[in-house]
Amino acid sequence: MQVELQQLTKSFGDVLAVDGIDLEIKSGEFIALLGPSGCGKTTTLLMVAGIYRPTSGRILFGGRRVEQLHPRERGIGMVFQSYALYPHMTVEQNIGFPLEVQRGIDRAERSRRIQEASELVRVDELLSRRPAQLSGGQQQRVALARALAKRPEVLLLDEPLSNLDARLRHDMRGEIKRLQKDVGITSVFVTHDQQEALTMADRVAVINRGHLEAYDTPETLYDRPPNRFVAEFIGDPKMNFMPVEVERRNGSVGFRYADLGLDLEAPVGSTAPDSLPSNAWLGIRPEDLRIVPPDTGDMAGEIYIIEPSGREKLVDIQSGEQRFRVVAEPGFDGRIGDAVGLHLDRERMHLFDREKETRLL
Amino acid sequence: MTVREPMPSGGRFSVLGLAPYLVLGLVSLPLIILFGWLLYSSFFSRMEGLTPIGGFTLDNWRFLWNPNSVQQLAGRSIWVLTFNTFIFAISVALLVVLISSMAGYALSRLAFPGRRTFLSGVLILHSFPSVTLLIATFIVLRSIGLFDQLLGVILVKAAFEIPFGVWIMKGFFDTVPWELEMAALVDGAGRVRTWWRVMMPLVKPGILALGLLSFVTGWNEFLLPFIFMPSGSQETLSTLVRSILGEGRFVDYGLLTAVGLYYVAPILVLFVLAQDQLMRIYGGGVKG
Repeated sequence: MQVELQQLTKSFGDVLAVDGIDLEIKSGEFIALLGPSGCGKTTTLLMVAGIYRPTSGRILFGGRRVEQLHPRERGIGMVFQSYALYPHMTVEQNIGFPLEVQRGIDRAERSRRIQEASELVRVDELLSRRPAQLSGGQQQRVALARALAKRPEVLLLDEPLSNLDARLRHDMRGEIKRLQKDVGITSVFVTHDQQEALTMADRVAVINRGHLEAYDTPETLYDRPPNRFVAEFIGDPKMNFMPVEVERRNGSVGFRYADLGLDLEAPVGSTAPDSLPSNAWLGIRPEDLRIVPPDTGDMAGEIYIIEPSGREKLVDIQSGEQRFRVVAEPGFDGRIGDAVGLHLDRERMHLFDREKETRLL
Repeated sequence: MTVREPMPSGGRFSVLGLAPYLVLGLVSLPLIILFGWLLYSSFFSRMEGLTPIGGFTLDNWRFLWNPNSVQQLAGRSIWVLTFNTFIFAISVALLVVLISSMAGYALSRLAFPGRRTFLSGVLILHSFPSVTLLIATFIVLRSIGLFDQLLGVILVKAAFEIPFGVWIMKGFFDTVPWELEMAALVDGAGRVRTWWRVMMPLVKPGILALGLLSFVTGWNEFLLPFIFMPSGSQETLSTLVRSILGEGRFVDYGLLTAVGLYYVAPILVLFVLAQDQLMRIYGGGVKG
């Protein structure tokens, strides 16, 4: 089922929670609504679910307008952050509840579908238990089974993994992604965890203060973020930013940050705009910086702190007023206070407008 | 850390341990004596102070098997009065629970204009002494033809109890997470089914407690049946006790104690059986 949001808006009194979001979800696609808490992503999901009525705008399921329809008329399944399993019912009754309230499903068909859904998420051994007797991960699976039992056309997941511990969250990430592909159901999930969004979704919609900041594949959002907010929000550790003076040269662009002695030139392709503002934000990801011997590289600094994480070392370099995060090799043997040079990967620099914060290069 | 050792007899430790019981026992002594006296005197023909006079007798309990020997029963069986009382109490309880749980749900979950005003209005109603409304109630009952009928008294009593019940039930509904209700809506249930299949089972402790409490207050109610059913055609036990106490110069205390005991016995049994539920009414909450 193809889903489309057009200029979707929701305000609570004076507060504008969702401000004119346009989104188009292909049939069978798995998308994430990503944003900091309070950005309006859950409100958007609840409007798709039919719990909230939009203040204005349209929601289309397969071309049909649904924003005035009751949740039960929309053919959706939903998994809640708290799972919202009915505490007084067994697992079997929980999974069966959406079928019980649906017309035209007899007892035999119901138990067949309960069996099918519970096998799909491997809770078929737990059917006679009550939610309180289940672990967090099991409750999560039961919630998934309940959402899928009535064979909805759209699956909605609200922060589905945030109540699980770190290791289990990692496992469930993969499982939900696989399940979504196996069932082939159009799915929307809400998360504040950028890594969760990048690893699970086909496309990610980044929402900030009710606005849609970006909507693209994880790769594009990471490699070519369309604005500074997305660049900063996606990626861990965060992208480094510095204010630079920009100079358009022949076939290349020059960047200068006088305080740090930075003066470099990067070749630009034919896509570069002819005129660039003279002031901009230069962004570079920690893995695109390289620590080099002092007096070499593009600028100088000293090591502020080193955080080993096993696979790599995260090094903070103080350079003038600025501090840069750098991902270094695990074998990196610098010490705090050492003078070092920093090299910037010319191919992987991002340039954003100083005021509008939109991408320039 | 406490290590339990055998208590030395007459030692300090045991005296300290007993102290709370002694204090509590002393404080509740008047009550215990009261109930003891009630029970005791119902089996003797006369009491002088705390001392029974005359031998053991079942004569005071004769109302159970020989209604004609008790003038105040006026030929009716005690069982009919018990039945009336039961019908009165159970109807009040059912009405209060039904209306309170629907109103409480609406007040807890639905946004409608005047909700806050309504809530505080309900609270004011609850603090209204029912005595002050007797005349108005009388006029209303008369005009709808329910005066001197059990049904009328049931409605009046339920109406007086509902404000309290609405607040209690609203409190219980407030503790049920919103997400559960959203889940039911998404799962395809309508409002009514969500209320009945998901919300009501989760506020069961509240329903039980409120139902029991309403039953007990209904069972104990004296004023309303006394005033609004003057002919006594559908008399309840509370007014029977009153008429034993109030007719003639000589009060048959033996009979009074026996009837009184008979009257409170079901409530005592109910309290013992249901004290867990009753105590939850002020605890509130859903067990996960």
